[in-house]
Amino acid sequence: MTEKAKSRRIGLASGRKELKEVVETCDAISERKFNPFFLDVKLGVDTLRQYFPYWERFEDHCLDAHALNRLSEVVRLQNTQLKFQSSALYADPEFIGRKVERMSEKRLAEVFLQSWHPLTGLEQLTQEVISEALNYWNLLLPIEERWKKRGYERGRDPQKADSSTLDGLGIHGEEFSKKLTSLWNELLQQYSSGQKQIDYWQFIKGQSHTHTVQRAYFVSFLVTYGYAKLHVEQDRLALIPVEQPTMKAAAGAVSFPIPIPREA
Amino acid sequence: MENTQTKSFYSDKLKRAIHLLLFRRGKMPGAREWELKEKVGKNYEQVLTQLNQLLAELDLEVKKVIEPRSEAIATEGEPAPLEEARYFVTLKGTLGLKEAKMIGWRIDNLAALSASVAFLVSKQGKAPREDVEKLLAHKFGRWKAATLVDIFLRTGYLEEDDAGTMALGWRTRSEVDLRALMTKMAEAKL
Repeated sequence: MTEKAKSRRIGLASGRKELKEVVETCDAISERKFNPFFLDVKLGVDTLRQYFPYWERFEDHCLDAHALNRLSEVVRLQNTQLKFQSSALYADPEFIGRKVERMSEKRLAEVFLQSWHPLTGLEQLTQEVISEALNYWNLLLPIEERWKKRGYERGRDPQKADSSTLDGLGIHGEEFSKKLTSLWNELLQQYSSGQKQIDYWQFIKGQSHTHTVQRAYFVSFLVTYGYAKLHVEQDRLALIPVEQPTMKAAAGAVSFPIPIPREA
Repeated sequence: MENTQTKSFYSDKLKRAIHLLLFRRGKMPGAREWELKEKVGKNYEQVLTQLNQLLAELDLEVKKVIEPRSEAIATEGEPAPLEEARYFVTLKGTLGLKEAKMIGWRIDNLAALSASVAFLVSKQGKAPREDVEKLLAHKFGRWKAATLVDIFLRTGYLEEDDAGTMALGWRTRSEVDLRALMTKMAEAKL
């Protein structure tokens, strides 16, 4: 690629970028985000002139025309601002903002009332109002039905999850059995090292809250299937491993929910 | 004799004009120029002048407000005008704080409206909604500021376009003497 072609390509890219920036600035001014004099229109026009020889595609010429159009809109806004500033209505927005901040609500209301001439009018039923009311009435359900509807609102039904999903979550299959066995071994190890009763909260505590919840979830299986026993003494929960588990859910077992706080 | 005939002719037209101006038929009160021309006649402006004289005794007046043109008045063969006039009956004088409260206005709502209108005028009639809410939030808190802006939009004192730019609404243009408001605001002692 020759040097000339290279510099032309660079000119094209930077030209497109600069024109887009000009258009964006002009749009922001039209939306009253900036003062119209924020943009140096002459500089904008010079930018258009500088990049005009580079344009090749139809889109480039459209962008050029669009930027010129937006610049002319800024010129119009500058003209309006100058006219406005020379009118009796002109006040610096910052000055008004400061006044509003410092004036009491009562004083503000009084100022408004001195320049306010409210409209008078009499309201009565019109054809439009009647037809709107009729539509509303026709669409309105009897109150019993509206209450009934509210009473029977229910969430989403449970959905099926296949084995692969459960395997992925680590709560099914070989991975699950491995984790259970490793946790049971850990429990046995702690028990054989001299602890008669292992504190439930200390045992389930993991590196993070998620990890703690996972350990608690696996422990619940150990207890349900007879690998461990859960002792509840007053406020204390303790785990005791069973060396020869039944591997069956105990008959007459009861559910014992244990909420796990964040700080656990 | 001729004088009596003129008077009765006008009294009939006066009634029709005041009915059009006072009784609300659509969403907005008042009457459009073409409605008055159609129902009162071509000399409706003379009728309104005479009506103004009568209303002045009651501290009321007929006000003409130019608003952006709606599609309703394009007539065949004539070029469509860019703006149309609407006539309202407004209070000629002003209300006191107690009277304003009596007609259902809270002081903080009036204060917020005053601040919003003055701010928009200082911004040449247009400003982003966030700026207006920010101004009001300083005095009324963020949640109330948003609620107040919604109230002013609903009642027609302010308008908002799709880009979230706020402007003065038809009701501000009809009811508020902006020149007086800005002068009073500049002069107001803190």
